[in-house]
Amino acid sequence: MIKMEKVTKVFKGDVVALRDVNIDIGKGEFVFLVGPSGSGKSTFIRLLNREDVPENGRIFVAGRDIGRLSGWRVPFLRRNIGYVFQDYKLLQKKTVAENVAFALEVIGKGPQVINRQVPAILELVGLARKMDRFPHELSGGEQQRVSIARAFVNRPLILLADEPTGNLDPKTSVGIMGLLERINEIGTTVVMATHDRSIVDSMRQRVVELDRGMVVRDQARGVYQ
Amino acid sequence: MFSLRYVLRETGQNLWRNVLLAVATVVTVGVSLAMFGGFMLFQVAVDGATARWQDGVEFIVWMNSGDGSAEDVSVRNQLSESPGVQRWEYVDRRQSYEEFREFFEDTPEVLEIIDAEGVPPYYRVVPVDPDPDVVEELGSQFKGKPGVRTVTFAGDVIRDVQNLSNRTGRALFIGSIVLLGASTLLILNTLAVAINNRRTEIEIMRLVGATKWFIRVPFMLEGLVQGMLGAVVAMTTNALLRNYVIDQFSTADGLQLLAGFKVDDAELLQVNLLVLAIAAGVAVFGSILAVSMHLNE
Repeated sequence: MIKMEKVTKVFKGDVVALRDVNIDIGKGEFVFLVGPSGSGKSTFIRLLNREDVPENGRIFVAGRDIGRLSGWRVPFLRRNIGYVFQDYKLLQKKTVAENVAFALEVIGKGPQVINRQVPAILELVGLARKMDRFPHELSGGEQQRVSIARAFVNRPLILLADEPTGNLDPKTSVGIMGLLERINEIGTTVVMATHDRSIVDSMRQRVVELDRGMVVRDQARGVYQ
Repeated sequence: MFSLRYVLRETGQNLWRNVLLAVATVVTVGVSLAMFGGFMLFQVAVDGATARWQDGVEFIVWMNSGDGSAEDVSVRNQLSESPGVQRWEYVDRRQSYEEFREFFEDTPEVLEIIDAEGVPPYYRVVPVDPDPDVVEELGSQFKGKPGVRTVTFAGDVIRDVQNLSNRTGRALFIGSIVLLGASTLLILNTLAVAINNRRTEIEIMRLVGATKWFIRVPFMLEGLVQGMLGAVVAMTTNALLRNYVIDQFSTADGLQLLAGFKVDDAELLQVNLLVLAIAAGVAVFGSILAVSMHLNE
């Protein structure tokens, strides 16, 4: 599903964010990206979403070399990739349902699709009864659930999550991880950058550790360390 | 695929969120285009009032009969042979009557008492030297000739009107260009504010796969709406200017020159269409500039 071949990303001032990264992530895998701040986790995720392009190497998503993708095709790539933020990024003047519907509306889906898919996804994330609430009326965990619902409503092949539990307490984080696990079980590939040791240790999924832009460990059913 | 409902809703919301800035933009676009429209309308009116005196015509030889009579041939030969005459143009009785009807179209009582036979043909004469004394001497050679009714000169008043119109026109034109530049910047600024207010929304749109144009169109439409509303303000001002200012000149008693100082409906429509086109141009240019500078999809 995702393949990186000798990927190097250098920012201005010769800051090497990723160096010669080779990785292969299969369909339906759940992968934790771990490592200290500045190790290249966020850059890894941004490259997969074509928010950035590498200086060297090639990145394949669903068999397609996304580095060679022309600009107008990038939105269509992103329709297959859900994105969950640490700070939720919900639209405060829209209700829960409107926030989720927004993701469908802006890719041109009609009311019929929206009216069918939005309640279904809110049911999945456990917010069906709060669909008319505004974000400020929800807890942090609930807001993150809305963010996940928005990322998953279009049924993407891949879900990228950048520190999704970073702003949540441990108990709420467990609930969010349970939700991501369910999404993964449906067949979605999940790549999650995190600093949360307890979560990584408890889930025993594949762990890719980055340090100064290099993959220093790639372990099936690993722990944080 | 674009959802019309979505685009209209987003455009409306953008305008409403920055309503004061949007109003300022509309007013500035309106004022600058009204100045431009005013300049055009006065040019049209002055051209109409001084139509016979355009292109360097300094005197007119009015004939009694014309149209190939012996007297007419004699005057024509003299004009052709005179070294002081650069060029001349003959306006026959039919054309002269048409001009007359156009001139007095708002005073039917005049048109009722004068028919085609009462309007003389004439020669418009451009001298080599426009010096008033030379023109006076040249024109006087035709006075009293058989077949010549009278000779009239452009004189100081008409030249002054044309000069004043040209100078005022230039000032209005430059002023309106400066204001149109300001309007473009204001549209750009309004859209920049709108884009900035919706940073999070735009980021989400990009990440969930909205196309570049899907993100851009509501902003561009917002700029276009502001430009079009400005055009409506300018077109209304132009119509009022025509009806309550310019037309008042032509009905002023005793000023024959000003009888032709007017703008008809077709001319007003032409000016307003031009205003509309410029408004659209300014709006589209400002919008494209704004989205190119502030939307990095």
